[in-house]
Amino acid sequence: MLKNYFKIAIAVLKRRKFFTFISLFGISFTLTILMVTTAFMDKVLSPDYPDLKRERSLYVGSMEYKNTKEGWMNRSDVSFYFFKHYVSTLKTVDKMAISSNPKASNAYVNNKKIVIAYKYTNADYWNVLEYRFLEGKPFSQKEIDNADKVAVISEETRKDYFGDVTHVVGQYISADNINYRVIGVVANVSKTVNSLSGDMYLPYTVSTENYNKPDLMGPYNAVLLAKSKADVPKMQKEFQQMMRRVPVPKDFDKVYSNADPFFASMTRRIAGDGANNGTTRVVSIMSIFVLLFLLLPTINLVNINVTRIMERSSEIGVRKAFGASSKTLVYQFIVENMILTFLGGLIGFVLSLLAIYLINGANIISNMRLSMNFTVLFYSFIACIFFGLISGVYPAWRMSKLNVVKALKAQ
Amino acid sequence: MMFRHLFKLIWNKRKQNFLFLSEILVSFIVIFAVFSFLTYYYQNYSKPLGFAYKKVWSISYDNGLLTKDRDSLSIFYDNLYNSLKAMPQIEEVSYSGSNFPYANSTMTTGLHLNGKRFGYVNNYVIGADYKKVWNITLIAGRWFLPEDAVTKNKNLIINETLKKQMFGEGNAIGKLIGDYEDKEKMKVIGVVQDIKANGDFWPAGNAMFSRLDTGYLRNNHNILVKVRDGADATFESQLYKIMTNTMKNSVEIQHLSEMRDAKNEVTIIPMVIFIIIAGFLIINVALGLFGVLWYNINKRKSEIGLRRAIGASGSSVSYQLVMEAMILATMSLIIGCFFAIQFPLLSVFNIPASVYIVAMLLSILFIYLLVFACSLYPGKQAAGIHPAIALHEE
Repeated sequence: MLKNYFKIAIAVLKRRKFFTFISLFGISFTLTILMVTTAFMDKVLSPDYPDLKRERSLYVGSMEYKNTKEGWMNRSDVSFYFFKHYVSTLKTVDKMAISSNPKASNAYVNNKKIVIAYKYTNADYWNVLEYRFLEGKPFSQKEIDNADKVAVISEETRKDYFGDVTHVVGQYISADNINYRVIGVVANVSKTVNSLSGDMYLPYTVSTENYNKPDLMGPYNAVLLAKSKADVPKMQKEFQQMMRRVPVPKDFDKVYSNADPFFASMTRRIAGDGANNGTTRVVSIMSIFVLLFLLLPTINLVNINVTRIMERSSEIGVRKAFGASSKTLVYQFIVENMILTFLGGLIGFVLSLLAIYLINGANIISNMRLSMNFTVLFYSFIACIFFGLISGVYPAWRMSKLNVVKALKAQ
Repeated sequence: MMFRHLFKLIWNKRKQNFLFLSEILVSFIVIFAVFSFLTYYYQNYSKPLGFAYKKVWSISYDNGLLTKDRDSLSIFYDNLYNSLKAMPQIEEVSYSGSNFPYANSTMTTGLHLNGKRFGYVNNYVIGADYKKVWNITLIAGRWFLPEDAVTKNKNLIINETLKKQMFGEGNAIGKLIGDYEDKEKMKVIGVVQDIKANGDFWPAGNAMFSRLDTGYLRNNHNILVKVRDGADATFESQLYKIMTNTMKNSVEIQHLSEMRDAKNEVTIIPMVIFIIIAGFLIINVALGLFGVLWYNINKRKSEIGLRRAIGASGSSVSYQLVMEAMILATMSLIIGCFFAIQFPLLSVFNIPASVYIVAMLLSILFIYLLVFACSLYPGKQAAGIHPAIALHEE
């Protein structure tokens, strides 16, 4: 039966080439945009190098003071002191990766300017995050305690600073006129992994700033790692309890800091504040946007499909007159539409491969490599079904209401 | 008479036309959004920049290791200024707060005039030679002088936009303005041309300039230098060495022309993506409209044939079909405009009403052109229908 429908569908698609082209164009283009967007979202949201333990991690990235009476608000990154003094006492935190915001420094090599973004980190940073070392090794607690001037650099920095060589461990790199000994080289990190990307990593003890200053605000952020996935809610709760003990700074009456799962940590930065993580807002705004975006091609498709089906009123009339039920007819038209949608989906898939290839080639976001993976394919598949149903059901329903006599008479 | 007839034809096919109408309506809303953005950016883009950025470099430094003593800090900064100014490659030098043009930093405050509050005023704290570095144009009054450091009221320079908002066409020079709590009074000594500090596509906004005093030096992280033509990468690395030796801390040199490109890119890239997506949606819709109109005309062959048989000319037939499509478009546009007009009425996003009005007119024009273009060929085809053949088919 299905094979029969398939044959009919192909025949119909061939007959009205112009309409087929319009439908395919609309479906494939819309799916391309959806697929590229999903690939991008997937890149941002799913665990990515070097942050591969997102399921077990919580992220602390901001400190907020509030004076609710006067309406004052002060928000910043977090101090090293806060992590050392408060967070490290939590029992559920297995390991904590602390790192500072990247600071830019210039280096001049062969009359060329290189901008090096460097970060200060603690020793556990290398245990929590899974950086891939191309050569050498990370610095340990020993180097941190000695305040050794050692550096882990990225592959990109190695190329820019030293040229096309594969072995630079033991050599010196200069930033802000201080020479650091290179002890390791790691693979590049995409700029989409915002708080972890950098060109050079240094022990926090070589920082010229006083990292022990008893302030809550500073330039640092942290990834807290729990022993297991099950411990994460416990860790979040313990963090909240600890926040109640943190003294509120002068002139303010509230202090907020949060340990968030990855997605919430992102939405909080975009649309939230200390008290609200902004997830609902971001998700609803994005859904409305996607819905609106889908509305236009869907209406267009429904429009074309109605036209297409009405054109075949004689065929429908004949089939009905010979006893086909409305249900079978509706079924047939939905199958037909699904076939069309999947054809469009296939073209869209090829187009998105092309688009992703172009985007990666243009290197729009530094070191970002989009890829088509099974998650992306799965979501595209769902989008295909959604499209096929939405644009197929209404025309099919209208067709099933067609009066046999009228349909035949029109002929 | 003609129109009433057309309305009747449209009403008879209301079920089919409903989808057609909603498609035009949604397209109109999409187009309105695109044109609103474009008009807004264009209006801002067409205003003068107000300053020269090309040969300006910014030096950002960390001052954590400098002395905290006010007098020695003042001497330190004076010496630094003199030694920079003495370099042959450097034309002008000025200290500046971190919110100089194209920097990713803003500092705003509120001002008071006669009890009325003016919010979101960009607060630029600047050194003495700021005007020379940027080549800012003074419209009225004067620039800061050394003796301003000891006046009773703090002296203030404001920009054109703020002046218009506060004083209208009147004179601003010598007037006193209250600070954000309306406690301290500051005297306006000059008005400068607007500077578009956020890139070419954003308005200058309200701005005030105040002198960087010795107390503020402790928080200062930025020096702006205007270099001469001979300044190359070799000089830049020299300058960098001198600065890191002086500051004993992290230093970064950036070129304002590169910062400008980065700033503009943040606006242009999403805009281009938006236009590409909207463009494809519209092509999509155009093909759809074309297809449906074409089909409808084929279906009405008998009707058209009959009209031709009783003497209607080919052009009048095609005129009728195009008119039908245009009336349908008008109906959608009326509903669309009802929504669109809310934007200027409620002054959504604080954008000037003229942006929305222009965008609305452009979108209406665009939709009419689109529908016209899509109905032209089907209309022409209908005109070519031979009454004899059409009626014979029947």
